[in-house]
Amino acid sequence: MEIFEILQRLTEVNGVAGDERRAAEKAAEILADMGFQTEMCYSGCICRIGNDELPLVMIDAHIDEIGMTVTYITDDGFLKIGECGGLDPRVLPAQQVTVFGKETLKGVVASVPPHLAKDGSKTPDIKDIYIDVGLSGERARELVSPGDTVVIENPVTRLHGGRVTAKSLDNRAGAAAVIAALGLLRGKEIPVSVAAVFSAKEETGGAGARTAAYTLAPHLAIVTDVSFAAVAGDRPEECGKMGKGPMIGFSPSLSREFSDSAVNTAKRLGIPFQIEVMPGRTGTNADVIGISRRGVKTVTISVPIKHMHTPIETVDMADIENTARLIAAAVESAGDLCD
Amino acid sequence: MICVTDELEKLCSLDGISGDEGQVREYILSRIEGKAQVTVDPLGNVIAFVKGKKTSDKRVMISAHMDEVGFVTTYINDDGTLKIAPVGGIEPGAAFGKRVKVYGKGGCVNGVIGGRAIHNLSSAQRKEIPEITSMCVDIGADSSDEAKSLVSPGDSVCFVSQFCAFGDGFLKGKAIDDRAGCAIMLHLIDEGVEYDTWFTFVVQEEIGLRGSACAAYTVEPDIAIVLESTTAADIPPAQGDSQVCRLQKGPVVSFMDRRTIYDKELYRLAFETAKDCMIPCQTKSLIAGGNDAGAIHVSRGGVRTAAISLPCRYLHSPSCVIHRSDLENAYILLKNLLNRIYDK
Repeated sequence: MEIFEILQRLTEVNGVAGDERRAAEKAAEILADMGFQTEMCYSGCICRIGNDELPLVMIDAHIDEIGMTVTYITDDGFLKIGECGGLDPRVLPAQQVTVFGKETLKGVVASVPPHLAKDGSKTPDIKDIYIDVGLSGERARELVSPGDTVVIENPVTRLHGGRVTAKSLDNRAGAAAVIAALGLLRGKEIPVSVAAVFSAKEETGGAGARTAAYTLAPHLAIVTDVSFAAVAGDRPEECGKMGKGPMIGFSPSLSREFSDSAVNTAKRLGIPFQIEVMPGRTGTNADVIGISRRGVKTVTISVPIKHMHTPIETVDMADIENTARLIAAAVESAGDLCD
Repeated sequence: MICVTDELEKLCSLDGISGDEGQVREYILSRIEGKAQVTVDPLGNVIAFVKGKKTSDKRVMISAHMDEVGFVTTYINDDGTLKIAPVGGIEPGAAFGKRVKVYGKGGCVNGVIGGRAIHNLSSAQRKEIPEITSMCVDIGADSSDEAKSLVSPGDSVCFVSQFCAFGDGFLKGKAIDDRAGCAIMLHLIDEGVEYDTWFTFVVQEEIGLRGSACAAYTVEPDIAIVLESTTAADIPPAQGDSQVCRLQKGPVVSFMDRRTIYDKELYRLAFETAKDCMIPCQTKSLIAGGNDAGAIHVSRGGVRTAAISLPCRYLHSPSCVIHRSDLENAYILLKNLLNRIYDK
């Protein structure tokens, strides 16, 4: 299956942290179409390949996305919200949203027009945000309940060259890379067994990855998420570049041995890569997987992304493809790290 | 005959920022062909004379603007992103994080309006939405040369926003201001008028009521009715008069805004007409905004002018929201008011 098709199918479903079942099921459906078996569990969706008597490598890609949750319904039918994950509130005014109530509803984030605005340059406080679903208070309370999730829509769309924009590319882009990597590994003799986990609730703290790592007790872990690609005004030492390949993490919280090995593998195979230095924790599922049980040697292999945590997240298809190649190659080279 | 809502959906699918209304004009010309005597003036206004069953000694002009708010490309950055400036009044929050289309020389290019990820900003920077002129449009190009092969300064940039119905009878889309007015006029032309009437579909309202000034000069009306969309703030936490006007409470007839003090007799006649037709009608509880009436009522020696507006939430954003009932009632009010003006 083409990676673009995988990405398209993964982004057409919505899965806000804690309500990501549909997205995990979509990953399972794509994998089934590719001939893989999967299991759904508390942590998300797991796909195992290889001889299970060999040491286990866990590959994690979180399947949830940032979004909002309904906290209150006003008497005139507007919804108040809280954020699920670190949503960028600057983008909220006048967005079209989908509310997952008893029925799937469309709505708009209320905004103040220029004719009445006092200071339009202030980022709205999430507490002051209202969602207009075009219903009376009574009707809204029939169809929507506190706890229902809300997403901002943006269907996958091609920009110039290999760039695409969509909502939830954090981390459907990473999930697409892992699915493609499984495709590359199919039928190969590999020195390890693999459990790919499409994990829940990363955006709210990594609950899915934490429980999956405990359950699987892997020898090694590869965490595939998205990471910052530089835009104007960014510091080059803090960001990667779009189109320059997967970002291999180096951090005191990661395994330097595994990071070095990933770099050597990429060099040996001529896969473009970038080094991402994180001076403490990584802000990814690697933080919880790395300290699971007695500790797991972990590396991050990330897809560069622009406009993170907005509905217009943007990635380069070549970066996803090279991330898939590097993950597959890292698995093939992982035997030495398991001793 | 196409219903007004379907007509509006079609019109909102077209792009036409001020000064670049060609798509909208071509569609309108194709729609009224054979139903009116049509001229296009030097600015691009469509001026249509529709023959009625009767002729009146009063010359009445109905007007709506074709243009919408958007952006224009001003510069191509070294990193291949585009700088833009707003065309018409757009709040920074309505622009940031939205999808756009750039009309480049080789065709339309998709883009997104973005900036630095919130994670990489200081806490002070997080509190501010950047000025539109500090935002970048990312079209996927990595260098200025790559971008220059696709787009140039001066290219129009339009919001991408699918028209849709939601909730109980609400409609959402970009450019409802003022394609709603255009839709009502097309519907009336389809249905036919009692008396000879002039219809003007005008350009450049959003940058200062420019097209209507020339159209009014050309038509030389005695009376004008402007069809518009106006700010409704019937959203929390606004209460009472600060809501300005409300959806589902009928068309808005203003007594005054920042550009016009409307003709008192027409104002009263509009409310009387609405009452007799048993449709709701409201006025604005805030003297704010302005529309083509501002240019038309001072055309030549003066024109008695009224405005019938649709209450619209989130005006000048990619998600303008109106209610279907207000659209239908605005049509009924216009049609009946027009006949009363002629019969008086």
